[in-house]
Amino acid sequence: MGCSIRIRGLRTAWIGVFLAMISTVGAQEFIGTRVESLDQSLTPALMGVEAVALSENWSAHTDRVPNLGLSDDVQWIRVILDSKTENGMLLEIQNAGIDELTGYMICDGKVTASFERGVIASSHVESTMGTYPTFPIPLTECDELTVLFRLKSSKPLLLPMRIAGPREIIGDSHQRDVLFAAYFGVILVMLLYNLFLFFSVGDRSYLEYSLFILMIGGTQLVLNGYTSYLQIQSLPWLNLRITHFFGVFSGLTTIVFVQNFLRLSRYVPWLHKLLNFYFVIYLIAFVLAIFGQLIWSYNVINFCAAAIFFCIPGSIITMRKGYAPAKYFLLAFTIFIIAVLVFVLKDSGIIPYNAWTFFALPLGSAIEMVVLSLALASRINQLKKESAIAREEQMRSLQLNERLVREQNNVLEDRVKSRTADLEEMNSTMRATLEELQSAQQQLVQSEKLASIGQLTAGIAHELNNPINFVSSSAQSLRRDFEDLNEVVDAVKTLDPAMEDIGSKVEALKSKLAKLDIDFTQREIDELLKGIEDGTMRTSEIVRGLRIFSRMDGDNFIQAQVNELIESTLIVLRSNLKDVATVRYTLADNLPLVTCQPGRLNQVFMNIITNAAQSMEGLEREFEDNEVYIQTALTESIGQSWIEVRIKDSGVGMPEGVKSQIFDPFFTTKPVGEGTGLGLSIVMGILRDHNAEVEVESEEGLGSEFIIRFPL
Amino acid sequence: MINVLYLDDEAHNLTAFRAAFRRDFQVHVTTEPTEAVRILREQPIEVIISDQKMPKLSGVEFFELIMPDYPNPVRMLLTGHADIDAVIDAINKGQIYKYISKPWNESELKALVQEASDLFHHRQGMASEGAKLMQRMNEARLHSTRIQRLTEGQVELNAEKTEDIARLAREITQLLDSN
Repeated sequence: MGCSIRIRGLRTAWIGVFLAMISTVGAQEFIGTRVESLDQSLTPALMGVEAVALSENWSAHTDRVPNLGLSDDVQWIRVILDSKTENGMLLEIQNAGIDELTGYMICDGKVTASFERGVIASSHVESTMGTYPTFPIPLTECDELTVLFRLKSSKPLLLPMRIAGPREIIGDSHQRDVLFAAYFGVILVMLLYNLFLFFSVGDRSYLEYSLFILMIGGTQLVLNGYTSYLQIQSLPWLNLRITHFFGVFSGLTTIVFVQNFLRLSRYVPWLHKLLNFYFVIYLIAFVLAIFGQLIWSYNVINFCAAAIFFCIPGSIITMRKGYAPAKYFLLAFTIFIIAVLVFVLKDSGIIPYNAWTFFALPLGSAIEMVVLSLALASRINQLKKESAIAREEQMRSLQLNERLVREQNNVLEDRVKSRTADLEEMNSTMRATLEELQSAQQQLVQSEKLASIGQLTAGIAHELNNPINFVSSSAQSLRRDFEDLNEVVDAVKTLDPAMEDIGSKVEALKSKLAKLDIDFTQREIDELLKGIEDGTMRTSEIVRGLRIFSRMDGDNFIQAQVNELIESTLIVLRSNLKDVATVRYTLADNLPLVTCQPGRLNQVFMNIITNAAQSMEGLEREFEDNEVYIQTALTESIGQSWIEVRIKDSGVGMPEGVKSQIFDPFFTTKPVGEGTGLGLSIVMGILRDHNAEVEVESEEGLGSEFIIRFPL
Repeated sequence: MINVLYLDDEAHNLTAFRAAFRRDFQVHVTTEPTEAVRILREQPIEVIISDQKMPKLSGVEFFELIMPDYPNPVRMLLTGHADIDAVIDAINKGQIYKYISKPWNESELKALVQEASDLFHHRQGMASEGAKLMQRMNEARLHSTRIQRLTEGQVELNAEKTEDIARLAREITQLLDSN
């Protein structure tokens, strides 16, 4: 906003000065109606100046300001002077852009003086009074005083001419200088200010605007004869083309500035493209100028200048589309176009050529610049507003985002909470399940144990039944046998050698002995006693084995003899194995005691031996082929002593797939309902507790061997 | 004396059994199934007792083995260990008459053997009665054939023939009534 206020302040100040200046410029008397021009078609190409002057083909002009148009040819004009009143005065042509301009003073048919005043000549001719070419009218007494001009220019030959005293010319020139100085001051201030803005703000449109100002100002400079200030008199090539170049570059910068300022590519794309087309045409004009086609170049530039009119509809459309700065732009260009129209109408004599119309162009262009500055400021404001809106939008979307994120967070938090709760619930469910599983497993282990015990009890009952059976039966039989013997003994006791019928008595006794088969009885007694002895021994052996075995529930680690454990296991298993396989064993007699849980180890041996026996059950072959071979040994390996127990069977063996799973819980090859599948998994657990190593070798059809090594 | 065969892999049981029952029965004992078969061939065995749990051959298997050749002797299974499935199976198939558990009760066992022997003889008696009946039935059939022949194609019967027919009929009645 501060920017805009300062610009407004500047404007008021400069316009005030400018208007004050203009008011001092009085109306000027142009002598266009006194000008005669030579019909070119009737003028030979090479003709002496005097001959030209004497030509009969002069025709008078009617315009206040003659316009000879644009032509490549040499033009001639003359003005008949009043030698009485006008001598000593100056003839001024208010066109500083004529390339070749030579004025000849002809007194009574004689050339008395000639003056080179063209652009090309300006390098070696002292500048005349003011910026416009002036020709001093000689003081010579003549009857007929004519001034003849030879003109050639690549620009339109517009010839505002007047005759005035040096004081007036110089005075006007000074006034003009002051006005233009003011104008250039405005231009310069604008230029510097916008350049400064460009460097401080960094907005490209300020640079474009600066260039635009520079070029417009430069064009005015050149058009009004201030070329000499550019110090290019020594460069005639450039000097000739400077007007064209400024025309081209002011056009180009205008196009670029308009395109970007009005955002034409966004609001009016067709105009943007059209201006691009003009840009190219301008470049063509530039190239033509460089190659010396100055007339063509000027025509092209003139043609292109019409593009300025497109700015009006362009800015209107842009404004309609809500782009506020466009209204300033519209105002600026309307003013400028009006100024141009005034300038053109003035030249064509439709409106009077006076100071106002004369200054219309610079004034219009100055106002245009000022208004454009406002436009730029407004644009800045617009941009600021837009960016503020954008920021606000951004802020709002940020806040929205933040809110969304917060809400999302809440949702997430809730979800996490519910998930956590779910998980906790699941966890507790799983814990409960785990506990159930553990208790189920314990029950299974327990029932496996009970099953073993049941199996054992049955086996032991049978083992005990036999000796009890024959011991008790033998005892009864012995009693009867002894009754027989006692009968004989009693009979013998009654015998007395003194008896008279001793002979017959002895005979009777003998026949009794024969009848009772006492010899057999005696043998039988012997056998029965042997049986009783054997039975008693076996019973006590079983009971001893049972006692060792019954440590099954004793889970304490104690020192025990592995051989003894195996033997007791075999005793309790004997009746179970009896009808399945023969058991052979080789037990090393040098085994040291091992720290173990004897009850649990018995379970291990019982399981493996029972499995071994079962692997041979129901095989269609000789009983002798079914053999369980048990071996114990003391071994050394990897620097350690081991007690090695090998339990080998000649059963069906196992395929690799079965072998790899035998220690898995619930894995069983037995039909459903006949095994828990826990036996070997329990064995594994027990052996792990003993740090024992287990190795299983098996070949299908040949049998399996379990090798267990207990570390010492 | 009842001829009893006892098969058991436990020799002491055999001794005890013989000592217990030699005064009442003609006792044959062995630990070997092949020897048992030999005894069956040579002796008029009425009752067979076998232990169930033996190596090589179970009691039920032994009975199955001898059934075709020696169906008549009454079979009893003796075991110390209830192999219930085998026992049920054996009883259902009619292979054994009684199941005795160890340790045996001497008087009970003795009574069972007696019973078994009675059953054996009863069966034998039934068999011979049946044979005799069959014989009489055959004779009666013979007589009836004769009567048929006598009456064949005869319109009128003379006294002699009538008397023959009456005699034959009497004899048939006699044969069928003699039971």
